[in-house]
Amino acid sequence: MQFRRAFGFRQLRTRLAVLYAGLFAIAMLCVSGLLYGVVVHNSKAQVRQELIANGTVFDRLWDQQTSQLRGAAGLLARDFGFRAAVATHDRSTIESALTNLRHRVGLSTAFIVGVDGEVTGLTEPREVQDAAALSTRLDDGVTAGVASLGGQAHKIVAAPIMAPALTGWVVFAAELDQHEMRTLERMSAIPLTAAVYLRRPDGSWGGADESASAADPSVSRFIEANWRHGGQPADIDGPNGQSIALAKPLPTIPGAPSAVLLLQYPMRLALGPYQGLEIAIAVIGLLGLALVVLATWRMARSITLPISLLDAAADKLADGQLASVPVSSQDELGRLAATFNRMSADIVEREKRITQLAFNDLLTGLPNRANFNQHIDHQLRLVDRRGGEVALLCMDLDNFKSINDTLGHPTGDELLRRIATRLSEELGDAFVARLGGDEFVLVKPFTGESGAIDELARRALAAVEGPITVGEHVLENKASIGIAIAPAYGANGNMLLRSAELALYKAKEAGRGTYRFFEESMNALAQERRALEVDLHHALANGEFELHYQPLFHLAADRVGGFEALLRWNHPTRGSVSPCEFIPVAEETGLIVPIGTWVMQEACRQAARWPDHVRVAVNVSSIQFQRPGLSHVVLQALQNSGLAPARLEIEITESIFLERSDTILQLLHTLRGLGVRIALDDFGTGYSSLSYLQSFPFDKIKIDRSFVIALESRPGAAAIVKAIIDLAGALGMETTAEGVEEQAQLAILAKQGATSIQGFLFSKAVPAAQATALLKSKLKQRAA
Amino acid sequence: MPMTGTANAADLDVEVHGPNGAPIAGAVVSVHLVGQPTPRPRPAGAFAVDQQDIQFRPFILTVPVGASVMFMNHDSVRHHVYSFSPAKRFELKLASRQQNQSVLFDKAGIVPLGCNIHDRMIAYVDVVDTPWAKTADANGHVALRGLPAGAVSVSIWHPYLRAPGNMILKTVTLGETGTHAERFVAPMRAPPRDPGTGY
Repeated sequence: MQFRRAFGFRQLRTRLAVLYAGLFAIAMLCVSGLLYGVVVHNSKAQVRQELIANGTVFDRLWDQQTSQLRGAAGLLARDFGFRAAVATHDRSTIESALTNLRHRVGLSTAFIVGVDGEVTGLTEPREVQDAAALSTRLDDGVTAGVASLGGQAHKIVAAPIMAPALTGWVVFAAELDQHEMRTLERMSAIPLTAAVYLRRPDGSWGGADESASAADPSVSRFIEANWRHGGQPADIDGPNGQSIALAKPLPTIPGAPSAVLLLQYPMRLALGPYQGLEIAIAVIGLLGLALVVLATWRMARSITLPISLLDAAADKLADGQLASVPVSSQDELGRLAATFNRMSADIVEREKRITQLAFNDLLTGLPNRANFNQHIDHQLRLVDRRGGEVALLCMDLDNFKSINDTLGHPTGDELLRRIATRLSEELGDAFVARLGGDEFVLVKPFTGESGAIDELARRALAAVEGPITVGEHVLENKASIGIAIAPAYGANGNMLLRSAELALYKAKEAGRGTYRFFEESMNALAQERRALEVDLHHALANGEFELHYQPLFHLAADRVGGFEALLRWNHPTRGSVSPCEFIPVAEETGLIVPIGTWVMQEACRQAARWPDHVRVAVNVSSIQFQRPGLSHVVLQALQNSGLAPARLEIEITESIFLERSDTILQLLHTLRGLGVRIALDDFGTGYSSLSYLQSFPFDKIKIDRSFVIALESRPGAAAIVKAIIDLAGALGMETTAEGVEEQAQLAILAKQGATSIQGFLFSKAVPAAQATALLKSKLKQRAA
Repeated sequence: MPMTGTANAADLDVEVHGPNGAPIAGAVVSVHLVGQPTPRPRPAGAFAVDQQDIQFRPFILTVPVGASVMFMNHDSVRHHVYSFSPAKRFELKLASRQQNQSVLFDKAGIVPLGCNIHDRMIAYVDVVDTPWAKTADANGHVALRGLPAGAVSVSIWHPYLRAPGNMILKTVTLGETGTHAERFVAPMRAPPRDPGTGY
């Protein structure tokens, strides 16, 4: 894929143009190459043929000349008078005869060599020397061939002089010089060059003139490689470019250096006639290439324009914009464009929906938690950059859970929808979101005074408070709001929300229907609470709990009729921790269940040691009622301790009836079935309702300490207490007055007929060991 | 060969062979005395060179100096016998059949004979100046009788012998009596195939 990367065109059009131009160029190159190859091959073949033909012509010429000269020489050699002259060494006659012969034949060199080496007819000493050497060579029988004469290659033709025995030779010598070669060249149909080369003793080849320098090394090598089996032309790379050459061995006189005739034809000349053709092909190729590029470019445009439009539209779509392309044709591209347009519209539509689903609450249509997170982060960034503050209001309906439970979820959902509508209508200046359940949040940036936030909170509470009709129910709602201000109380959304929730918790504690700003102390409390929670986890295992017992003094029997078991936590570092502090935490975390079990076991175990008339009262939290297994815990405690069920009194508060009262009632009946007594604690506070008294036959009612304390100070309090005692009596229930500290209070309660009293007047709660001691005490002694 | 007056006793048997062992028929073996003059031979006897079938017969003829040789034409064609040799220059235009002419060879030496009409025809007359000279028979054998004791020079001549003057020489010492055998190996060149037209 290296190739594709290297040619990664940005445009399809360029790619097409380059592709087609490239293909065309390759095709043209192939054609040109082929053509060139054929031309070269044919030219070479032609030249070869010509060289061979020339070689043959040369052979024939050579033979012709040889026989011609031999004839002339033989004619003289057989002439009786000439023979007589030779035999008698008549030099002048011989030389005149030779001169005559030279003229007749047209040769410059003709001479006589005697068998004894005597030379007649030559004067040049070197020539004479070479000629004398011929006498022995000619004797071997070869009388025609190349030999050196005076340092120059000559064609030698000799005829023996028989007088009548061999006395010598008549010799003709034709110089193989430039002139001779030009003559040969002229006879060729092609302009070849001919030259004779002689082999030197060292194996190299030189020109016909022995004194001249050696031939070009390439020529020399070529001849050396080809001359012996000559006759076939071959390529030769000479100093003047490539040529085709034919090295033709020439017959030589024995003993003379080997000689060749080299016929050469330069390729340049052979290809000359085709040069015009090559140029024509190149021009046609270039023109064709230009045409192909132009045509492809134009054609590609018609294809790529719609594709480019689609490409640009797809880019737009990728950026999230609505994009469409014009549908301009009926072909594949047109259909593609139409499909693209449909797809684009669908994608935009779907994106809208997805965003809505992702960032909006399905039930109310308000922004959801994810949306809120984004929004608060955005606001915090803005504050970070531009200054100012952001308020986060965390709102929670006060009684939503019971509405949901009692009226059903559809009603609850409808209520939430209506409240959401109101909030978004009334509080258009703030960002409103629903985080889940009945938890709403409002976000509003502000500068300067936080009075605007107070006002916003009040408006929010007001928006919720108006009566809302859902079906046949008219619902009065209240809400609590916790407010946290950023950046002071939350660097990020999560911290800010937690702060607001802490403030909300405080607002709930403050009595609901109100709002609270988050303060740093809330955070400290919250941390304290978390630390407590951690310690609470270990407290049970570490045996840090202890039960104290506060006696319930039976007025009629004038003795202690029972003890209320009260939980104490002896923390190793904190010391004694108040139940008011840790019980809510235990309830919230669910730890109240194992702790309650331990209390039940411990209280029963302790009570079993007491006399039979002494009961033990154990507080059971509403949480314990909600979890399964309470009756089993009670039964187990009774069995383990062997305590009579009637001596165990379970104290409950009215709050347990807030949740699933049917189930609770059933459980109470079950406990009663075991023989256990049930007492209603803290009667007269909170949501006290006489209907509870009717719905379950309690064994005892404990009158809340607030009434007892008010007995002397507030007129009417005594009447209420009297009414409760009478009511209880009428329903067959006992009564215990809590928080009795004064003799006066005791006097009133005794007169009104309370069954028993509990309070500091007799004793505070004490450890088990002291409780046993209290059994013998009398009220009069204690109160004194 | 006729004897001279000096005391004679030794005989000489000579065999002439080529390098390949083939006998050289027609080789002329002549003996000259060393340290004393060789007696002249007597030019007695009849010698003839015939021309028959466009050939000279014999190819090599040995004659004592001063001998006359009869040239006879047995062919129906004319012959023009000639020699340019320094030993004897002559021309005989034997015009017709059975025409004879006699030539006196009065000088020792090799006389090549040719026919100016027929280049093929060639023959040699060896004119010797010693009484002890003979042409080898078909076995390359020559037997010479009555040679004096002492050192003698034996020469072998043949037109195709590859040596200066187509001759090789050897000095041999002969005893008083008995036959002395001598064997010569002569380097030979090939005979010309078709003299006159080249090769």
